[in-house]
Amino acid sequence: MLDTLVFVTVLLPFLVAAVLLVLREQNVRKVILVATAGVLALASLAMLRGGAFIMSPAPLYDTLITLGDFVILFVVLFVGIKRKNQIIIWLSVAQIIGLIILDFFMVKEHGNIPAFFADDLSLVMVLIISIVGSLIAVYGIGYMKEHEEHLHLTKSKQPQFFFFIVLFLGAMNGLVLANNLLWMYFFWECTTLCSFMLIGHDDTEIARKNAERALWMNVLGGTAFLFGIILLQKVVGTLSLQEILARGPEFAVAGGAILVPMFLLVFAGMTKAAQAPFQSWLTGAMVAPTPVSALLHSSTMVKAGVYIIVRLAPVYAGTYFSNFVALFGAFVFLATACLAAGQSNGKKILAYSTISNLALIIACAGINTPAAITAAILLILFHAISKALMFLCVGAIEQKIGSRDIEDMRGLFAVMPRTALVAIIGIMTMMLPPFGMLMAKWMAIESAHGQFLLMIMLALGSGVTVLFWCRWAGLMLGTPVAKAKPEAQDITVRAPLYILAGLALVVSFFSPVVYNSLVAPVVKMYYKAAPYALPYGNFDSPVGIFLVYPLFLLLGLGFYFALKQARKVTAAQCSQPYMCGEQQTVDGKPGFLGPLGLHVPVQSGNYYLEQFFGETMLSKWINVIALAVLVIMLFGGAL
Amino acid sequence: MITKIILAILALVAAPLLGALITGVDRRITAWLQSRYGPPILQPIYDVLKLLGKEPMVTNTWQALCAYVYIVGAALSVVLLFTGSDLLLIFFVLTVGAVFLVMGALASPSPYSQIGGQRELLQMLAYEPLLILVFAAIAMVTGSFKVSAVFEQTRPLLYDLPLMYIVLGYALTIKLRKSPFDISASAHAHQELVRGVYTEYSGPFLAMIEIAHWYEVILVLGLCALFWSTSVVGMVVLVAVTYLAEIIVDNVTARLTWRFMLKSAVGMGLVLTLVNMLWLYAQ
Amino acid sequence: MLGNLINQGRIKSPWVVHFDCGSCNGCDIEVLACLTPIYDIERFGILNIGNPKHADVLLVTGTVNHRNKHVLKNIYDQMPGPKAVIAIGACGCSGGVFREAYNVVGGVDKVIPVDVYVPGCPARPEAIIDGVVAALEKVKTLLGMTA
Ligand code: SF4
Repeated sequence: MLDTLVFVTVLLPFLVAAVLLVLREQNVRKVILVATAGVLALASLAMLRGGAFIMSPAPLYDTLITLGDFVILFVVLFVGIKRKNQIIIWLSVAQIIGLIILDFFMVKEHGNIPAFFADDLSLVMVLIISIVGSLIAVYGIGYMKEHEEHLHLTKSKQPQFFFFIVLFLGAMNGLVLANNLLWMYFFWECTTLCSFMLIGHDDTEIARKNAERALWMNVLGGTAFLFGIILLQKVVGTLSLQEILARGPEFAVAGGAILVPMFLLVFAGMTKAAQAPFQSWLTGAMVAPTPVSALLHSSTMVKAGVYIIVRLAPVYAGTYFSNFVALFGAFVFLATACLAAGQSNGKKILAYSTISNLALIIACAGINTPAAITAAILLILFHAISKALMFLCVGAIEQKIGSRDIEDMRGLFAVMPRTALVAIIGIMTMMLPPFGMLMAKWMAIESAHGQFLLMIMLALGSGVTVLFWCRWAGLMLGTPVAKAKPEAQDITVRAPLYILAGLALVVSFFSPVVYNSLVAPVVKMYYKAAPYALPYGNFDSPVGIFLVYPLFLLLGLGFYFALKQARKVTAAQCSQPYMCGEQQTVDGKPGFLGPLGLHVPVQSGNYYLEQFFGETMLSKWINVIALAVLVIMLFGGAL
Repeated sequence: MITKIILAILALVAAPLLGALITGVDRRITAWLQSRYGPPILQPIYDVLKLLGKEPMVTNTWQALCAYVYIVGAALSVVLLFTGSDLLLIFFVLTVGAVFLVMGALASPSPYSQIGGQRELLQMLAYEPLLILVFAAIAMVTGSFKVSAVFEQTRPLLYDLPLMYIVLGYALTIKLRKSPFDISASAHAHQELVRGVYTEYSGPFLAMIEIAHWYEVILVLGLCALFWSTSVVGMVVLVAVTYLAEIIVDNVTARLTWRFMLKSAVGMGLVLTLVNMLWLYAQ
Repeated sequence: MLGNLINQGRIKSPWVVHFDCGSCNGCDIEVLACLTPIYDIERFGILNIGNPKHADVLLVTGTVNHRNKHVLKNIYDQMPGPKAVIAIGACGCSGGVFREAYNVVGGVDKVIPVDVYVPGCPARPEAIIDGVVAALEKVKTLLGMTA
C-alpha cells in the first residue's frame, strides 16, 4: 500500500510527464491531466491517513538517482555554455566535482539509508503539492489554450509545458518525502531545472534572460546545498535526514561544526525561496504563463526553500545562528512588503508579497520555539492556498482585460463579477481574521514576543501588508449600480478558482483541527512541547489567545447581516457619486461635465509612495543589508 | 463564562452610549475652547437618530455592506477588550472594520471618496505599527498579550512604559482622525476633501459609521485605561486627562501632510519605543 | 417610539450644505457668519457639512443662471430625503437685481422646490438662522409634531 502511494505521488508524475511530452492530442491530454490531478490528490489524502513512515526502495533506484544527478548537472552545464554564462558554468562544474567526491569517495553505505521518510510536516507538504499543485495544473489546460491562441503559435508548445509542470509536482513530492539527502539533492536540482524551463517557456528575449537569472541563482543555491551535505557527511557521518534531526542538536550544542553545513543548507533554502538579495529571480519569473507563477509561488519551488529551513530548524534551535535567521527573515519580511506596496503591477505585488510571507516563515523558523514552528507550518499551508488562488485570479483577469496592472482592475466587478469576488475572497483570506494566514501571523508576532528588534520589523511589515491588499480589494469593487453579467469561463479555469476559494475558507475554519491533527504532533516530536491548548477550539497559550470559532461565528453573522442590509438597497436608492454637482456619466464612465459640455472622465490612481517604496532605490539598499546579514550570519553565527 | 457574556453584552450596549456622551462632551469642550456655546451634550445621539431616519442612498450596494461590516468590526473589538481577550487579536479585528471602511470608499469613483480612502490607508499605515509596538511592550511587562494579564499587575503599566503611553497617544490621535492628523476625513467638512473617506456614505449607513466611531472611542480610551489598571479612579483620571489633552491638541493644531504623519509616526514611534525598552532592560 | 426619537433627531440636527449659485458673495459671507462664535449655529445642532449626501437643508444664495442650474438640480437630487431648501437673499428668492439679465433664470424656485425664503440684500445672519428655524417648524408640522 505504502509503496503504491509513494510510487503514485513521486514516480507517477514523472511517468505521466513523459507521456504528456509525446502526446499531441489536446483532449487526451486534458483527460490525463485531470485524472492525474485526481489521483495525486487522493493519494496524498490516503498517505495522510497512513501517517508517518519510513521506506527504502530497491537499490537500483539509488543508482538511478545518482545517474539523474549527473544528467541534470550536465544539462545545466550545457545551458551555461550555450548561454555563455560564466557563473552557471563554474557553479555546475563545482557541483559535478563535489558530487563525484561525495558519491564515490565519501558515502560508503549506499543504499543503507532509507530513501524516504515522512512525518506530518512532509505529509502536509505532500498535501499542498498534490492538491494545490494539481489544481494549478488543471487550470493550466484552459489557460494555455487561450494563451497559445493569443500568441498565434503554429505549433503548440503545450506538451513541453505540461511535461515540466507535472514533472515539477513529482519532484516536489520527492523532495519533501526524501530522507536520504542525496535523493533530496536530486529532486532539488529537478525543481531548479523545471523552473528554468518553465520561466523561459514563452521564449521571448525577456523570458530567456529571466530564466537564466533564475537558473544561476538556483544553481548557486544548489551548490550550497551540495557542499552543505558534503560537510554534513563529514560532521555527522550520515546523509539520513532522520538521523541528522535526531543527532543534530547534540552537535549544535557541542559546537559550531554543524552550523556551517546548516548555514549552507539554509542559504540554499533562501535562494530557492527567493529571499533578498535573490528576490529578482522570482519577480522575473512572472514573464512565464500564469500557471507557472502560481506553481512557483504557492505549492512548489519557493516552498521547497522554506521547507528545508523549517525542516532543519530543530537542528539549529537555540543557537546564535538561529537568531540571525530570525533577524534575516524579519528584515526581508518588512523590506519586501515595502516593495510590494510600491507596485501597481498585480503579479509583482503578488511576487513581493510571496517573498515577504516566505520571509515570515523563515523568521518563524529562526525564532525556533514550538509556537513559531507551528506558525511557520500553518503559514506554509494557508499561504499556498490563498496565493495560488490570487495568481490564478490575476491570470484569468489578465486574459480578459489584457492587463495585470491593478489600476486597470478598477471596477472589475462590472466586467467579471465572479472572478472579482473570488479574488476579493483571496485577498480577505490573506489579510484579515479569522482566516488562517492572519492567525498564523498572529502566532508569529506573539512568538517574537520579547525580541524587540524582530517585533519592530514585524509590526511595520504587517502595517504595510494591509496597505497594498486593502486598496487592491477596494478598487475592484468600484462599479456602477447596474447588475453585472457573469463572465464566461472555461470550466478548467473556473473550477480551480472555486475549489481554492472554498479551501481557503474551509481550511481556515478547521484550523484548530488542522493544528491538532497535523501540526501539533510534529512540533511535539521535535520540540517536546505543544505550544497551544485548544479549549473550545481556541488557540490558547500563556502568551495569548486566538478565538477561532467565536470569531468565525460573530464575524460571519455580522457579515451575513451586512449582506442582507446591502441586498435591501434597491436600484432606485442608488445615486451618482458626489462630484460637486457636475457629474455626468457617458457610456457607463463616470466623469465631470466639463467646459463646452465636454465629458471629462474621472481618473484616479493609488498612492504608491515612490519616495519611500520606490523599487530601484529600495532594492539596492535591501540587497546590501540582506547580504550583510547573510555574511554576519555565516561568520557570527555559524563559525 | 457567564460573567464574560454579561460583560460582552454590556460592552455591546453601554459602549456606544458612553462613546456618544464622550463625543458630545468633546464637542462642547471644543466649542468652549473656541468661545462658542456649543451643541447639547446629547447632540451626537440626535445626529445619529436623524441619520437613521433618512432615506438610504448609495453609489453602489457594496457601500452598504462595507458600512455594516465596519460597525461589526468595531463592536466586536470592544467586546473582545471587555472580555479580556488578546490585545493583538483585538487589533486585528479592528483592522477588519477599518479595511472595509476603506474598501467602501474606494468603491465609489468620486474623487473625494477616492482620496479619502487612500489617505485613510496612509493613516492606517501610520498607526498600525505603533499599536502593535505598544501591545508588544505591554506584553514585555506582563508576559502575555492577554488583556486579563494586565489586570494581574500590581503596579500601573505607566511606571514601566511612560514613553509607550505617548506612542499610544500618537497612534490614537491618528486613529480617531483628530487634528493634526484629520487627514482622511474629519468631523467637519474640509474644503478640498469634502468629507473624505465618509463622502459617499450617507443616511443610515453614515449612522452606522458614527456608531462605529463611538465604539472606537471607547476602545481607544479602554486601551489608555490599561496603563493604570490597578485602580478604577486611576483609570478614570488617566483617561480623562488624556482625552482632554487630545481635545486641546485637536484645537490648537493645524492639519499636517501625510508625509509628515508617516515620517513622524514611524520615526518618533521607533525612537520612543527603543528608549522605553532600554529603560525597561535597565531596570 | 423609535419614529418619535428619529423625529426628535430630525428637529435637533439639521445639517446644512451651502451652495453659492452665483451670488455676489454678500449673502455667502453672511451664511458663514452664522458659524462664527457670535452666532454659533452649532448651538442648534446645525453643522455646515459641505456634502449634499450628508445634508438635510440646502442653503442657496444668489441667482440661478443657465450655466449652473443643472448643478443646483444635481445637488438637490443628491440629498437623501427628508430635506428642505432655503433660498437666501433677494437673489435667491427672486433673482433680485439680476432677474432681468439675459443669462439669469430667476430665483431658486425656478429649478427646485423652495421651502423657506429669507429676504434681504444681503440677508442678515439672524434672518438666516430664523429661516432655518422656520424650516424646522415646517418640518414639525409635516411630521405632525406641532406643539
Ligand atoms: S441678495 Fe444682495 S448680497 Fe445677496 S447675493 Fe444678491 S446681490 Fe448679493
